[in-house]
Amino acid sequence: MNAIEAINISKEFKRGIGYKKVRALEDLNLEIHKGEVFGFLGPNGAGKSTTIKILMDLIHPNGGSASILGKDIRSVEARRSVGYLPESPYFYDYLSAEELLWFGGRAAGLTKRAIAERSEMLIDKVSLREARTRHIRTFSKGMLQRAGLALALIHDPDVVILDEPMSGLDPIGRKMVGDLLVELKSQGKTVFFSSHILTDVERFCDRVGILVAGRLRMVDSLNNLLSDGAALEDVFLREVKAAGGGIEV
Amino acid sequence: MQRSPVVAFLIVLSLLHVIALGRATEERRLLPKADGSAYVIPGSLIKITALEFDGLASDIMFLRALLFMGSTYERKETPRVKSWEWKWFYDTLTASTDIDPYFLDPYLLGNAYLTWGGGMVNEANTLLEKGSRYRDWDWTLPLYIGFNHFYFLRQNEKASMYLMHASRRPGASPILASLAAKLAYKERKTENAVIFMQEILTRTEDEDLKKYFEMRLEYLNGVLLLEKGVSRYKAKFHKVPSNLNQLVKERILMALPADPYGGTYYVDSKGIVKSTSELQLMPQ
Amino acid sequence: MSTLLPIALITYKEGIRNKAFFGVSLVALLLLCAGALISIMVPQEMGKAAVDMALSVISFSGLLVVFFVGINLMAKDLDRRTIYMVLSRPISRSQYIIGKFIGMLFLIVMTMLFVSLLAIILLFLLKMGYPDRFERFSWSLVLLAAFLSTLGLVLLSSLSILFASFTSASFVTSALTVVVYIIGQSLGDMKTLVETPQSFPVGISPFIVKLVQTVYYIFPNLSLFDIKMQAAHNLSPSFSYIVWTALYGLFYTCVAITLAALIFKKKEVP
Repeated sequence: MNAIEAINISKEFKRGIGYKKVRALEDLNLEIHKGEVFGFLGPNGAGKSTTIKILMDLIHPNGGSASILGKDIRSVEARRSVGYLPESPYFYDYLSAEELLWFGGRAAGLTKRAIAERSEMLIDKVSLREARTRHIRTFSKGMLQRAGLALALIHDPDVVILDEPMSGLDPIGRKMVGDLLVELKSQGKTVFFSSHILTDVERFCDRVGILVAGRLRMVDSLNNLLSDGAALEDVFLREVKAAGGGIEV
Repeated sequence: MQRSPVVAFLIVLSLLHVIALGRATEERRLLPKADGSAYVIPGSLIKITALEFDGLASDIMFLRALLFMGSTYERKETPRVKSWEWKWFYDTLTASTDIDPYFLDPYLLGNAYLTWGGGMVNEANTLLEKGSRYRDWDWTLPLYIGFNHFYFLRQNEKASMYLMHASRRPGASPILASLAAKLAYKERKTENAVIFMQEILTRTEDEDLKKYFEMRLEYLNGVLLLEKGVSRYKAKFHKVPSNLNQLVKERILMALPADPYGGTYYVDSKGIVKSTSELQLMPQ
Repeated sequence: MSTLLPIALITYKEGIRNKAFFGVSLVALLLLCAGALISIMVPQEMGKAAVDMALSVISFSGLLVVFFVGINLMAKDLDRRTIYMVLSRPISRSQYIIGKFIGMLFLIVMTMLFVSLLAIILLFLLKMGYPDRFERFSWSLVLLAAFLSTLGLVLLSSLSILFASFTSASFVTSALTVVVYIIGQSLGDMKTLVETPQSFPVGISPFIVKLVQTVYYIFPNLSLFDIKMQAAHNLSPSFSYIVWTALYGLFYTCVAITLAALIFKKKEVP
């Protein structure tokens, strides 16, 4: 069984009344194996976030189906073993980090004791110990990102889906996320993250997929992609060009 | 920016503000006010626009009428209240009671001023009828209607009917039934009026209204005393006294009562006791 | 069902810690004091005016909370994407809607309890100060009126959730809720007005009469939950009135929430 499986996913958006429809995703087929770290690359507007939101049942595809750990994404159970960190996370202003994690745990069915244990551990891991009882509206962008990570991991999910996890973080934050990714991998978790920061992808991923203008151009292991000595950047730009794109997306 | 010039500037501004507001208020008082008809939105419309705050709306309408009446006491011109203002007063109280027909105060206020001051007895009765219909536990409202019929409209039979009605309501004073019976006697008009007035007075809470009614009662008591004196004179001398002083001369009365309104009591050719004040406060 | 409580709880906490809530409480306190002063001016039936004021402030505070805090609780989720933190959990869309509703319900009940407490203290002081002007006063009716008013507000908030489930801008939700509130409160009087044409100076066409009568069954009749006048004059409503009105509120609320859950299932959260 694959950790994540997407079959012929397509999605159209209507920009507004009178505008043409926009094909955000076209015939996307994806297989993410258990225990691997997969980097989802693409230029801005390629459809990376759209793909992830479809996997999380936030938006509905026009065609195709997908499953996580064998469960259809349209069912509630699919999300029980998924931890999700959206791009630029927002939380309720007046909760504390502790209350946020309590909510995440309870909503996933954890016992009070389990929540207490994992909360303590995660809060330390993301370095939010001092701020843990403060209201989230006082948090800086980096702190929000870290709180989001803790929330994504509170229920010890087997699959972790991160949408631009390093965005807005300072070098210390980036190191923390990186260490976390390594730790998750060593625990046998599956990590699927989207990014447009190539160095991050190079550092952590087993396999890489490149999405341009709604189409998956290439999926391969990192080693294979870079075997002929090319840098990831070159590969990336080559794919974008081949898709007929330049700057305008 | 330095502190002290800013503070000084603020102080000067505040002074100017106070002065300007004072002057503007004064000037506003001298503004020509609108004359003619003052339209009052019908109660049924207010009910809709007030949404769920009907009770508040009726309270506010009543208070507007109350405050308006209070403000007229300051006036020096006669008539003190103009005819269109009376209409506005009546319409406002009607609106207030259309919204909340159980509210007692508009009925009392309306009755007190519309009858004695505005000469609008029928309108007062219309208001009171509405109140009496809804406040079916309240014996005072039919009492007031009865009094109006007796004193202003001189319809003793109707008055008697309302008094009987009142006497049947919970907690009614036992006097009402006997008064209803007494009203059959036309000759006892002033005596009945005094009893009526005393009953009304015990029910009145508002200080201004109390003084109003007390003055009336004093006047009526004066008339009653003089009427009794005139009857005794007639019995003795078989004619009407030409002058009330004769009552004192003949030792029928110790002294003549004073008219609280500042006028002088006199007796007319038919033997009816009246006063030069006509129940209006005379200028000193 | 155990997921409903966490959603309700965070919704409630977010609402009650909102600065706007504090503002509403302050406004309620000020209005109560102003109302008390105004009611003192009524010579005879001060009790009636005091009850009018107290119950009006209670209802008004509840309204403020529904409009400024309650609606935000749903709308902010959609506007500001705070919904991700909730929908990414293993919970269904319906559970989200119902959980949100329960959270709002807690919030409204808490507000009404708090403001009612303030109002009761004030009424108690006034009654002690002017006992003879409070002849027809009934504590139980005042509390009953506050209770029914709360039910009406719960109904209104369930409608605001329904509107939020299909609109994309929080402003539209607010506007629709305001419109429904106004229609809901005037509907009862409107129906009475068109059915007794002699009370109004202008003539009314039979088409309007039919229209109003039909609309009466679609829009919520919020005026049923308003027994302020009865409370002010100690005119007890019958037990069956209370039961039927409460049932009406319950049914209408359930319908609204069910519809909201159905609609929200299809909604996209891009």
